[in-house]
Amino acid sequence: MIRRLTAVFCLLSVISLYRTSDSYAQSDPSGQRRVTDLYAITNAQIVTSPGSDAFTGTILIKNGLISAVGKNVTIPKGAQVIKGDSLFIYPGFIDMGSQSGVKKPEEVKHPENLDPSNPPNEIAGISPESSVLDYWKAHEETMEWRKSGFTMVQLLPQGQMLPGNTALVILGDQSSNNIIRENTGLYAQFETHRGLYPGTTLGIMAKFRELYKNAELQSTHESQYGSDQDGIRRPELDHSLSAFYPVINKESPIIFRTEQALEIRRAIKLQEELGFGLTLFNVKETADLDAILKESSANLILSLDLPEDKAFKQDMEGATEEAKTSHKRVEEAYKKALSQAGQLEKADIKFAFTTYGVKKQEVLKNIQKMIENGLSTDAALEALTSTPARMLNIDKYSGSIASGKMANLVISDAPIFSKDAFIHYVMADGYLYEFDADKSKNGVKDADKIAGKWSYTSETPGGESQGEIRFEKKGENLTGEIDVDNPNGGGTITRELENISFDGKNLSFSFSIQVQGEELTVNTKGLVEGDKFDGSISIRDMGTYSLKAEKRPSTTF
Amino acid sequence: MNIYRYLAAALLGMAANVSIAQTPKGNVLIKNATVLTVTQGTLENTDVLVQDGTIKKIGTNLSAGKDMESIDASGMFLMPGIIDAHSHLALDVVNEATAPITAEVKMSDVINPFDVGIYRALAGGTTVAHGLHGSANAIGGESIVMKFRYGTSDPADIVMKEAPRTIKFALGENPTRVHGRGKNIQPRTRMGVEAVIRNGFNEALQYQKSWKEYNENKGKKNSTLTPPQFNLRLETLSDILNGELIIHCHSYRADEIYMLINVCKDFGVDKLVFTHVNEGFKVAPELAEYTMGASVFSDWWAYKFEVYYSTAYNAAILMANNVVTSINSDSDELIRHLYHEAGKTQRYGGLTDDQALSLITINPAKQLGIDEFVGSIEEGKQADLVLFNTHPLSVYAVPQMTFVDGVKYFDIKNDDDDQRLKVSPSELVEPVYLHAEHERCMHGVELFMEEGQLFNHAF
Repeated sequence: MIRRLTAVFCLLSVISLYRTSDSYAQSDPSGQRRVTDLYAITNAQIVTSPGSDAFTGTILIKNGLISAVGKNVTIPKGAQVIKGDSLFIYPGFIDMGSQSGVKKPEEVKHPENLDPSNPPNEIAGISPESSVLDYWKAHEETMEWRKSGFTMVQLLPQGQMLPGNTALVILGDQSSNNIIRENTGLYAQFETHRGLYPGTTLGIMAKFRELYKNAELQSTHESQYGSDQDGIRRPELDHSLSAFYPVINKESPIIFRTEQALEIRRAIKLQEELGFGLTLFNVKETADLDAILKESSANLILSLDLPEDKAFKQDMEGATEEAKTSHKRVEEAYKKALSQAGQLEKADIKFAFTTYGVKKQEVLKNIQKMIENGLSTDAALEALTSTPARMLNIDKYSGSIASGKMANLVISDAPIFSKDAFIHYVMADGYLYEFDADKSKNGVKDADKIAGKWSYTSETPGGESQGEIRFEKKGENLTGEIDVDNPNGGGTITRELENISFDGKNLSFSFSIQVQGEELTVNTKGLVEGDKFDGSISIRDMGTYSLKAEKRPSTTF
Repeated sequence: MNIYRYLAAALLGMAANVSIAQTPKGNVLIKNATVLTVTQGTLENTDVLVQDGTIKKIGTNLSAGKDMESIDASGMFLMPGIIDAHSHLALDVVNEATAPITAEVKMSDVINPFDVGIYRALAGGTTVAHGLHGSANAIGGESIVMKFRYGTSDPADIVMKEAPRTIKFALGENPTRVHGRGKNIQPRTRMGVEAVIRNGFNEALQYQKSWKEYNENKGKKNSTLTPPQFNLRLETLSDILNGELIIHCHSYRADEIYMLINVCKDFGVDKLVFTHVNEGFKVAPELAEYTMGASVFSDWWAYKFEVYYSTAYNAAILMANNVVTSINSDSDELIRHLYHEAGKTQRYGGLTDDQALSLITINPAKQLGIDEFVGSIEEGKQADLVLFNTHPLSVYAVPQMTFVDGVKYFDIKNDDDDQRLKVSPSELVEPVYLHAEHERCMHGVELFMEEGQLFNHAF
């Protein structure tokens, strides 16, 4: 009897051991829990950090962390093995600023007798006390940036002069709130509510100085009130001013959107006068600023948006000499804009990137353009990984591939910055996301035939659905978007079209939708005849359905 | 006006700025020119030696130092760099038209050194310009005196650091229309403008008092005083009351000019210049007695109701009454030929050459408080110089070379078709605004107005 009891105890303790291990978790009737959080990516080309050489090895991931990386890693039982032969692995990218998935706060109703010369802060676009996380409503939109290799994103609030504080999130699983750090900085812009004070850059500069000084004074008053001295008047706390405290205490920076050189100088001027930590955000112009950027302690975040190469597309034959000369200057300016990142590298000025205002498919293309114009691939990787990690003060646990760091990885089928590279997998927070490698070269012929608005009807088992597809000609290529019924609820959502290809007859494109947290790629192809499109849509493992569309006559000429 | 107190302030201002990076300073010898000194008569066949940005010597048979450019100016006329006391050139924003008083804003925050207008002004012999806030508000922002050191990308490089602080005021139709009619707030009438200014000054007095009290007791044992609110607008207004800023007031009618003189008298403010001043001739003795002068147009008027009673003899009458008088452009176009504007006073009023030239050199320098540095050709002054092919008051005059601090920024023989400093990487043809230069004073205001069409006039 005693022996039997001991056996039962032994069994129980073994079971409880198993239960603490995630791989044998409690039952999951919804069936959504993943099979394992233990992954092994074997025999891949691994670049652990910018500047280090790729080596062939294995990465072991457990519990959302990298548990081993090296040439001889023993693969534990139960691990999901991903054969990494011919794959390249890099640290997950960090986006220093995005408003993807962040909704605009509702406009505050103007009071009856609004004095435009002295409007309340929230009407004047000044709400530094609000948190971007309160407006982070569309997580799926943010998560789509994984496709471009991003695993962490600094979210920025929408609004005007001081819209609120920023936060760092990870592009992980929907079961988590994915918040890494709240209040990573105060976002500021040279944007105003037209017609109300402050209405211009002149007013913003003055208002900023005044807010900052008064925040300091309020803090002084508060500490007086908290001291032993009796008879101190109660401080009237202004929450807009209190929001500056972390900045005054140098715990977080002002993240100032400064695209042009003069805006950059204005933000640095305020920094020098008031003494806060500064992040120059979405910078598009750095020429002539090397010295001042080097001298300043400000963090530099470059825009991934590049100017259009209109000048190179223009046919200048038969133009006057004068026009040719001035055209040449535009070409030079364009070249200069593309070579800025490389110039900064040469001047040993560190920078990170932001996707603010950039399309997903342009991220890697634009980095390639920078590389063609003098940026090294090491510096490009640095700007996407270790530098932003250092700026955000999270380099202890992210920004490179090492045992114990967060399992944030970008996995491509060619060196990441090469022209043919396709991001095959992204791992964020230890969750693996796979993307379809639709490698068919998407050439476009006769873009004019397609450009415009199309109305479509699609027959699916769920019934008939209708909507609009809009194509726009960009150079020789096409961009576009489609309105589809929201699979997660009422209304329609708009999705960007990808891989658009048209050979004069056959049109194909794809887009993605999120259904219950899972990303589905919808491939569309068919024939175009005149203004009619007859084709099909297919979703992997789900079937193929018909889609017919008709081009609407243009209302403009 | 207490000149000594003012000079002391200017010198103190200089001392505070020594740490600022150096702007370029040149060396040059200009030989055999007819030198129009403006303050010390005309010197035939004279050499001017410039060293380290300063006029070192004026004389004959001077020799150039080592590696110094020597220019043979035989047959040419050398005059001081032209000074424009009223301009909105090279500013990204002109009006913060959202409040009747915006004394807290600073034009130095919005300088645009890439404005190609800087080069065009140099090509017209203008070396210094006073960049003003617009006239939408009763009290606009702090202005900035700029030296046109073309070619820099740093706004700080074109600031004239020696210049004292100045501020824009505006009376009459513009502020009453923008705020009264546009937004239904004070001021809606000329009386309202006066009330706004007096209220502002009175608030500044109270503000000064509360801060004085706080600062005196700060750190004292058992003090229960807490910091007052910081108000940049009232800070600037109390600096005006303390005599640290020169007021440049947009004005047309004699009654409102006299009104502001009285307001300033009441508050002990004596650094006051009127600009436009079309009815200045009616109150010339008062202007002479109480102000630092009047900056007028040569012959521009009738662009709105308050500017009908005007005369091209205004400058001459003011001068005859001992008012320090200047002629300004208020325009990115007129700034390119202020010497023509000055010349008109010889047709209307028969001013002498020196008197006419003083309107665009030493007199505006006095109004800006920079006459000890610029405004005439004298040894020891900064070498802001223009070389003309003939006498600058001739209709055939064309500037040949323009120097700021002895550095040549314009040379007609070295003048490219495209002098832009900055070119858009994607705009094949940059937009050109044909009427921009005529709307500077109310620039940006229509953005804030529902009745935008009311503002399609100038100044």
